[in-house]
Amino acid sequence: MDYARFVRLRRPVWEAFEAQLADVRGSRGSRGGLRSADYGTLEDMALRYRQVLHDHALAAARFPGTAAARRLQALALEGTRRLTGEGRQSAAGPRTFFTRTFPRAFQRQLRLLGVAVALFLLAAVWGLTVAALRPAVGYAFLGPEAIRGLEEGRLWTSSLVSTMPPAVSSSWIATNNLSVALTAWSGGVLAGLVPLYVILLNGLMLGAILGVTLHYSMAGELLQFISAHGMLELTLILVTATAGLSLGRALVAAGDRPRAQAAREASRDALAVLLGCLPWFVVLALVEVFVSPSPDVPAGVKLLLGLALEGAFLALALRPQETAPESPEPAA
Amino acid sequence: MAEIRRESILGLDNIRLDLPVAGLGSRSLAAFLDSILLGFVGFAWIGAALALGTQVPGWAPVFVVGGLFLLNWGYFAAQEIFFGGRTLGKRLLKLRVVTAEGGTPGAGPLLIRNLVRSLDLFCGPLLMALDPLSRRLGDRLAGTLVVHEREREAMPLLGRVPPGWGARELAVVEAFLARARTLGDPAVAREMAERILLRIRRDAPELLAGLDPGADPVTAVRQALQAEEG
Repeated sequence: MDYARFVRLRRPVWEAFEAQLADVRGSRGSRGGLRSADYGTLEDMALRYRQVLHDHALAAARFPGTAAARRLQALALEGTRRLTGEGRQSAAGPRTFFTRTFPRAFQRQLRLLGVAVALFLLAAVWGLTVAALRPAVGYAFLGPEAIRGLEEGRLWTSSLVSTMPPAVSSSWIATNNLSVALTAWSGGVLAGLVPLYVILLNGLMLGAILGVTLHYSMAGELLQFISAHGMLELTLILVTATAGLSLGRALVAAGDRPRAQAAREASRDALAVLLGCLPWFVVLALVEVFVSPSPDVPAGVKLLLGLALEGAFLALALRPQETAPESPEPAA
Repeated sequence: MAEIRRESILGLDNIRLDLPVAGLGSRSLAAFLDSILLGFVGFAWIGAALALGTQVPGWAPVFVVGGLFLLNWGYFAAQEIFFGGRTLGKRLLKLRVVTAEGGTPGAGPLLIRNLVRSLDLFCGPLLMALDPLSRRLGDRLAGTLVVHEREREAMPLLGRVPPGWGARELAVVEAFLARARTLGDPAVAREMAERILLRIRRDAPELLAGLDPGADPVTAVRQALQAEEG
């Protein structure tokens, strides 16, 4: 086929496809675009897109550099961008996300979570042992001010509400915990080293602080303080760090898949887990400021609240799914 | 206009698509512009939060801390999700995030690529410099690319072609006709058009039949080859 004949025969298809793309562009922003197009229009566009792609392949091979080849190249790229990918898929609502996407992703990471919990406990036992044998280690974690408070028989946690208003404390705690979770997650791409550090450091700190408070006979007060929020807070930190570890594992041990593909698949599950955990941090910050330090709330109520929060999170995350959670699925 | 680097990917039916990949320079510039804007928005937010704090006593620090946290982690991701893979900096430099297949990425990949942005400040430039597709860590994780987005140039399509003319001749003539009106010196345009007419007269004199011999040479070329704006 010569160039002029090619242009004469195929140009109406290109112009029709351009007009359809312009319609899509024009109705963007409203509820329009591809989502408002009827089935016939979509089918027609898909057919023309394929024709344009084939014309592009022919023009690139037979008539490179010509106006037709350039036009088809631009058209093929714009058609590909608008008609393929995930951007036009309707996103699952929050209900579907929290009842299906998040639990499935969470359950696929249970084994790795077990490893994270084991590492955390090991670090905690180590921290407890070191602090019990050498109470001076408490200075490193708590600082002299807190140690002086312990010597006087009061916990440093009272400053959470005495030095600043509760609303400020809770926003500071929430953003701090969220930052730790996000850093642990994103640091997973460094071969999982950052989440590993977060897991071990948190375990070590918990053990050491518990050891120091034991030394000053204040462990009961500490456990009472953390009973409302501590369990879930540590769980969330471990879960988000596990999601980060899964990224690192995909990059380091991709198996028989290309590393990029393994990382992409792992990142989708990891993102679903992270998004499923984030709202809980805000709830916990409120509990930590308004309930945990309050002398008016009985210790039993704090413990019950902590157990209820932990139970609610685990019930959601371990919600039985209809199908076996084997293959990864796109995140919301 | 500088030539844009193109890298091939395989599209539908294994047809090769040449993506106009954005390199380290243009992407860094877009990120720099976004950082400046982010700074302005941050300062504006602090001012607004302090003003709001006078209405709700004691809450100004909450607004400041919460707002800056959201800006820090959400500025890039939110813009890319709501504006089709473009932040303001990318919009100014005509860049857009697409999937590795050239499609529109969903919210998930856009979130993923921006969650590791802080790490990419350190390792991103090196990775982008070494990768033919200029992908930083976030792009590799999310399966995305950043491409140039330029408006299609209107170029005339030839309706008649002398026999024996190859793609190179066609491309030259079409490019000439597209630019003839914008050439600074009309005499140069006429001279080039006359050389093209000479070639047409040699290869296919029948295409010149019926043309006014006194007509402007550029117009004569257009008429002989039935060039129509594409």
